[in-house]
Amino acid sequence: MLIPHPLLGPRDAQEFTYLGDAALLNRPGGGDEAAFLAYTHLRDNPAGVHRELWFHEQGDRSWLVVTRDTVSHEILGAQLASDVKRGGS
Amino acid sequence: MTDLTPLCALGAADPRRSVLGALTLTERPDVALASLALRRGMDAPAPFGLTLPQPGRCVCADGTTALWTGPGQWMIAAEGAADTDFAAAVLAEAPGASVTEQTDGWVCIDIRSTGGGAPITRLLEKLVNLPPEALREGCAARAGLHHLGVFVMRHAEDRLTLLGMRSAAGSLWHALSEAASRLEIETRP
Amino acid sequence: MSRIAGGLVDRSRTFSFTFDGRRLQGHPGDTLASALMANGVRLVARSFKYHRPRGIFSAGSEEPNALVTLRSGARAEPNTRATCIELYDGLEAHSQNRWPSLGFDALAVNDLASPFLAAGFYYKTFMWPAAFWEKLYEPAIRRAAGLGKLGTDPDPDAYDKGFLHCDLLVIGGGAAGLAAALTAGRSGASVILADEDFRLGGRLLMESHALDDAPAADWVARVEAELASMSNVRILRRTTVFGSYDHGVFGAVERVGDHLPRPVTVRQTLWRITARRSILAAGATERHIPFANNDRPGILLGGALRAYVNRWGVTPQARDADRVAIFTDNDDGHRTAADLVARGVPVLAVIDPREDARRQGDYQILGGARVTGTFGRRGLSAIEVARNGRRDVLECAVLGVSGGWNPNLHLASHHRGRPQWSGAHQAFLPPADLPPGMCVAGGAAGQGSTHAALQSGAQAAAQALGCTPAPLPRAEDAPVAQAPLWHVAGRGRAWVDFQNDVTVKDIALAHRENMRSVEHLKRWTTLGMATDQGKTANVTALAVMAELTGTGIAQTGTTVFRPPYTPVALATLGGGDSGMNFRPTRLTPTHAFALAQGASFVEVGQWMRAQMFPRPGETHWRETVDREARAVRAGVGLCDVTTLGKIDVQGADAGEFLNRVYCNGMATLKVGKVRYGLMLREDGFAHDDGTCARLADDRYVVTTTTANAGAVYRQMEFARQCLWPDLDVQLISTTDAWAQIAVAGPQSRALLTRIVDGFDLSNDAFPFMGCAELTVCGGLRARLFRISFSGELAYEIAVPARYGNALMERLMHKGADLGATPYGTEALGVLRIEKGHATGAELNGQTTAQMLGMGRMVSTKKDSIGAVMSRREGLVADTRRLVGLRAVDPAAPIPAGAHLFAADAPRGTATDQGWVTSACWSPHLDSHIALGFLSDGAARMGETIVAANPLEGGEVAVTVTSAHFIDPEGDRLRD
Repeated sequence: MLIPHPLLGPRDAQEFTYLGDAALLNRPGGGDEAAFLAYTHLRDNPAGVHRELWFHEQGDRSWLVVTRDTVSHEILGAQLASDVKRGGS
Repeated sequence: MTDLTPLCALGAADPRRSVLGALTLTERPDVALASLALRRGMDAPAPFGLTLPQPGRCVCADGTTALWTGPGQWMIAAEGAADTDFAAAVLAEAPGASVTEQTDGWVCIDIRSTGGGAPITRLLEKLVNLPPEALREGCAARAGLHHLGVFVMRHAEDRLTLLGMRSAAGSLWHALSEAASRLEIETRP
Repeated sequence: MSRIAGGLVDRSRTFSFTFDGRRLQGHPGDTLASALMANGVRLVARSFKYHRPRGIFSAGSEEPNALVTLRSGARAEPNTRATCIELYDGLEAHSQNRWPSLGFDALAVNDLASPFLAAGFYYKTFMWPAAFWEKLYEPAIRRAAGLGKLGTDPDPDAYDKGFLHCDLLVIGGGAAGLAAALTAGRSGASVILADEDFRLGGRLLMESHALDDAPAADWVARVEAELASMSNVRILRRTTVFGSYDHGVFGAVERVGDHLPRPVTVRQTLWRITARRSILAAGATERHIPFANNDRPGILLGGALRAYVNRWGVTPQARDADRVAIFTDNDDGHRTAADLVARGVPVLAVIDPREDARRQGDYQILGGARVTGTFGRRGLSAIEVARNGRRDVLECAVLGVSGGWNPNLHLASHHRGRPQWSGAHQAFLPPADLPPGMCVAGGAAGQGSTHAALQSGAQAAAQALGCTPAPLPRAEDAPVAQAPLWHVAGRGRAWVDFQNDVTVKDIALAHRENMRSVEHLKRWTTLGMATDQGKTANVTALAVMAELTGTGIAQTGTTVFRPPYTPVALATLGGGDSGMNFRPTRLTPTHAFALAQGASFVEVGQWMRAQMFPRPGETHWRETVDREARAVRAGVGLCDVTTLGKIDVQGADAGEFLNRVYCNGMATLKVGKVRYGLMLREDGFAHDDGTCARLADDRYVVTTTTANAGAVYRQMEFARQCLWPDLDVQLISTTDAWAQIAVAGPQSRALLTRIVDGFDLSNDAFPFMGCAELTVCGGLRARLFRISFSGELAYEIAVPARYGNALMERLMHKGADLGATPYGTEALGVLRIEKGHATGAELNGQTTAQMLGMGRMVSTKKDSIGAVMSRREGLVADTRRLVGLRAVDPAAPIPAGAHLFAADAPRGTATDQGWVTSACWSPHLDSHIALGFLSDGAARMGETIVAANPLEGGEVAVTVTSAHFIDPEGDRLRD
């Protein structure tokens, strides 16, 4: 697979470390245990479009949010996770 | 000046050098390194007169190189400055930035070709999975090389510099020299 | 001998080679198959299940029969296709799957037992009794199964990997591939042309057609020369593109040294090719027609027969006078007859089931006929032909069989696209949903004529790159009529899949037993599951099944293909990552010193760390470790701790950031101080621990455990970029930049005083948990931390890595009178167990801060990763605590990993009360001791319990104590 790095262009997926659902960006505030339980353990596992976190470990050390179709492996886009977080999307 | 005797990254008192066909590999213990990261809201400085390069690029002037290493982060390299407090010098050039001493964190290996760009291109295709446009003159990239993360800087068609983890200098040298010696045999007339 | 004139072999030079020890001769340009034919060798193999005599069936990588073991000793490679082996001088090949010899094979009795070895045999026969499986069935099957045998010696050859990138990858160097590469090359695009053969040209080399009135080989040579002159074109001969992966990534294996007696550098290279666009021009594979006893040596594909005649100047005849027959249901078979006649080979007849077959040369046609049987023990001697209700036996030694051509569309369906049946082509064509960026040209797309192949190749490249197609020579464009005959009905066994011995009867049986879908058919009969993946069998088998079900081939459908296209050696997939290349080795800055001291080393992740420093006269490892540990507690010890991860944390919000990453507070840490830090995972369990040193208001250096350095850095970057990107904080690893040496023991201060440049080391000036930047040894920049892992008065000193070795030697020299002793990881372990300090065994991902006795460290005044979840009811209620365990009999070792039980409780999972994490012999307590997690551990001090080792047997009585065996009050640290 090739990951379209927003700064560096297409890079081989072997350079990246996969984490999982990009919902991990949305860490709950406050001390609500139920919210943390959901945040930590509950994930969707869609057959289709999925937003997920990849770390460019053997590259520029950016965390990316990659939008990928888990069925076709088509990659619909990639953004810096910090931009996504700041943009609140 | 301390009376302790330093060792090169490859473990000897003197830097290692190897000539393999058109390619010469040279360990460069004289190169000083410091990382530079911008703090929040800071304008990019121009240390030693260098315009800090865009992603995937490096710039070089008078033996000092700046290479992009990540968003808002660069590595500054200076030939012949390993014995100085280079981080302090960089910080003086970029006041307010986060500067970290890196000279001893890396092994620096120069690769020069007497046969133009082709031997370097052939060597790299056995080592790193990067498209040719990421390895043209003036490009710098971090890439995986034999399970190591390395910085690759293409200063010129016939000149390349690699930075690898100092502790794994021996493994990096082995990978480079094995690939270069196979290339030498395979392209022998 | 059956060499005839012509061909593309270099007859001016001769290679000698051996087959089963017989010395034979061939020429450069031969394959092993063509050279065996030239020497009149017809019987080359025994079949998999029935051990039937087999000959050479094809002229390419689809070969199902002629599998041999190439080379010998450690280089022996079983199941190698003779049709793909490029002949070299001294080649050594052996037949396989026979005993005692190829001519007389004892297991040929299987052939007589064939009624019992039919489809589904394994599933039906070995069901019962179950107890027989392990003792009888499996060993018997294993003995009989398999073709060649793999050697057990280590592979002496080297392998390599590499990465290529291009605008256009052309897969296949035949008519379509060459036209595509020429078009693309002239456009200036970067092009890779890969072909599995050692010579470019594909079928062009195997046909007698002319291009522009000249031999096709001339045009091939001209194109090849032009491509070779282009710097933007890379030609990879002997390279099989075996898989098409996501986003234009392809796997290919280049056989760099297989055509040489010994590889000069590497044997094979695994290429990972990233291509913007690709053209699949892999040609087509001919089908055969099953009829009774159609597997005898001398029966081969018609197109292969033509290839041997035209490219290699050889036929499978035993003698020049032997007659050759052709059995075909289409016009292509007649081309073979015409080429044979033109070369003076005696042609018996062309047997064609069509009444109106069109003659293409001076030979006899038997129209409306079919072959119904064959004769000859180890090679074909005669065929039975049915025609007009008569059956005649006709003598012939060779039979070429042509049943039409199947496009080699495998790579086009690697992304799950289903091949589509075309009635017009009577073949499966590439799927509509091709891998993105791929198009298919030439025979692989069903473009069978030379003209169509050339044109489609050039067109495909022109479309892919938006350029003009290269001008092409005139070529034959004759239509090939076909009336498909999928098999000849009859009583005898008619082979469909030669390599796995699957016959028409097996397919009929699968049909009767309702294994009718293609997926069931495949598994029930093992059709297409041999190393050739049914390249010459699958479509024919589907057609037979379609005939039986009456549903038609399109409805029957086909399986999709998966990589690899042809077998790839595991060593090649390893890409040379063995030995030194298996993984990087990281050396500590004091490695040279340790080597000189005769240290033994231990791998810790990628690091090689000094495990211990044995001295002359020490006969047991524990003698060494005990001495090293005692030296630390009595005087001063030196240990390289560079391997701990170091991360430089800077920025205005560095303290706030660390507050959120560590469960305990770091923002309040004063400059010049160090604090122990514990990181949790978000689920509340402990992740890693280390120290945080504050060098300035806006700068910290934090350490991680050796094992978790990478994971912690990744986690901190996650926190910085994904959770709190608005904090002003910058991270960078400095693990390798600093050589860090632990100087531990009551004499450590005295020793350091001798190397610092006037720095005040007194307890008041530089107390426990202090840190400072200073110079040592006459101006060398250094960092000093007063921290202790051993429990003694101790420091860690860091200097630029290049000075680490010299500093270690200097400390040893200056501390000789203080008892300075280097110690390794074993003594380090003993010291920390004695002190009750946690490490990887205690921080194993299943333990919490509370279990480690650090529950109160999790600050409730701030949010940090894992803080909320660590307060979950279930975790808070967990009473297991880290305790010390001291053997009641001091000489009784406590096994690490042992489980803990109350002395009088039964040993079982219900009564399990915890486990031993770390254990050692303590030279200071003169006893075996251990650390472990114990239920209600805090309240059980002094109780005697049992550490049981049910896995290996045995148990040992232990007394529960504080985990801090040594100096529980910590006075020594603060002295």
